[in-house]
Amino acid sequence: MILDTIVYGDLTTLNLLWIAVCLIIAVLIAKVVAINIKRSLKDRMDRDRLEIITKVVYYTIIIIAVLLALPALGIHPSSLLVAGGVVGIVIGFASQSIVGNLISGIFLMFERPIKIGDQLRVDDISGFVEDIHIVSTIVRTYNGLYVRIPNEKVFTGIITNYVANIARRFEYVVGIRYSDDADLAIKIIEDLIDEQPLALKNPSPQVFVDNLGDNSVNLHVRIWAPATEWYNLKMELLWEIKKALEENGIEIAFPQRVVWFADELRKREVRDAESES
Amino acid sequence: MRVSGIFGLHDVPLRIDREGISLSVERTAGGLLYKRACMDEEVEDILLSSDSKILINPVEPVNKPKELTPHFLIEFERSVFIEPSARRTVFVKFPVEIGVFVHGKKDFQILDVLTLNKQKFTLYGDVISGVICKYWKSEVYSTIPDTNPVYEGVMELNITNTTARWVEITKAVFAAYGMKIYYSDDMVAMRANMRIVSKKVAEIDFVNSPLEKGMKRSLELYTSRLRQIPVIATKFLMDEGI
Repeated sequence: MILDTIVYGDLTTLNLLWIAVCLIIAVLIAKVVAINIKRSLKDRMDRDRLEIITKVVYYTIIIIAVLLALPALGIHPSSLLVAGGVVGIVIGFASQSIVGNLISGIFLMFERPIKIGDQLRVDDISGFVEDIHIVSTIVRTYNGLYVRIPNEKVFTGIITNYVANIARRFEYVVGIRYSDDADLAIKIIEDLIDEQPLALKNPSPQVFVDNLGDNSVNLHVRIWAPATEWYNLKMELLWEIKKALEENGIEIAFPQRVVWFADELRKREVRDAESES
Repeated sequence: MRVSGIFGLHDVPLRIDREGISLSVERTAGGLLYKRACMDEEVEDILLSSDSKILINPVEPVNKPKELTPHFLIEFERSVFIEPSARRTVFVKFPVEIGVFVHGKKDFQILDVLTLNKQKFTLYGDVISGVICKYWKSEVYSTIPDTNPVYEGVMELNITNTTARWVEITKAVFAAYGMKIYYSDDMVAMRANMRIVSKKVAEIDFVNSPLEKGMKRSLELYTSRLRQIPVIATKFLMDEGI
């Protein structure tokens, strides 16, 4: 019988099949438990923590199953401790980057500079954190692309988390003509900001004449908004400022130059001389 | 001010046209049609039911224009100073948000939330450890102020100064999960306790009893969520200044 064939030591093919079946059952149990944890805790905690708990439970069940299966394979976990050091060195050299990513992943989970659902930028990649795996982080870019970033790159790179703080500031520069009333323009912009629910009352917005430019009086507008809402507000408010200013006779200045023609000057001199005579 | 008829359980068909709110539930061939217009906002929903009722009552004032935070901050027009080891009661106003629920077969479902008030958010604390709050500014009253219940409610604030020093209070922050809202035809009201533990720290929670006899308890939105997530705190600890 093939099933009675000895593979090595006392281990037969049948034993191997049993171990394989047991491991498959363990994976299935781990999946069922993970799904049930997700289902029951979905409404009770944020997605990020839930993912971590689910993964820890899932891998714990599988590791326990593997450790239980090892003696059946003729391998005793205590002997792994001795072999582990040697194996570790071999693995370390052979798969340096994988181990680096793995350790970075563990540190990312502990330090938590990013969470699932956050908006981040790592190097030149910006988007939403979709998942944090043990060796890689999945990002969905703003234009919907799937990007897998190795955790080592995330951990050692400069991470900008756009929503780590509860609120953030954005600003505009609004250039008005020199002939316009800057005080009135400031009042109009302040009133518009006050009407916007998502423009925070505190920290209070700032509107002021920042500089007298070549072509315009430049008003600086600084607004604080909830970190999750700032971009929508930024998109909406600028056009409303432009419309409100124009409704009040204040125009956005555009670059202009006053050009003097030498001939015209001469003509004007002749005209003046004629009129005097 | 008495605004009878808006709050409470209504039979369908229903039509309400007052205080700038136009709300109707009409019978259609397939069920019911809910329509609402208020403050340049229009809502229309189809209800696949024939014998439902409509419950209209005030809900936590943190739902409009969108559910961004469960925290609500009232800034006082004038600072309040409370003497050491004293307990005093003041009244402030809060904006009313009106919840429209459909009720059928022992279950309620929120259909719509509307408000007639200006909306604003603010930050309590700093950008790292603070919280976004729905914002409202109110005068501080020593007796129950007169309000139009469709616009404003009355909050009874029982302030206890447990310190041995005078304390200045400029604002109060509340957690929507603990709000207990009561209403009648004349008034919408809540009762809260503010326990000052130091010059910069206070704890606020709500009292589950009406301000006046005969007031009905509202069906709140956050209280029902609390049953699903029992670990959420119903008290708010103001540790970033009062």
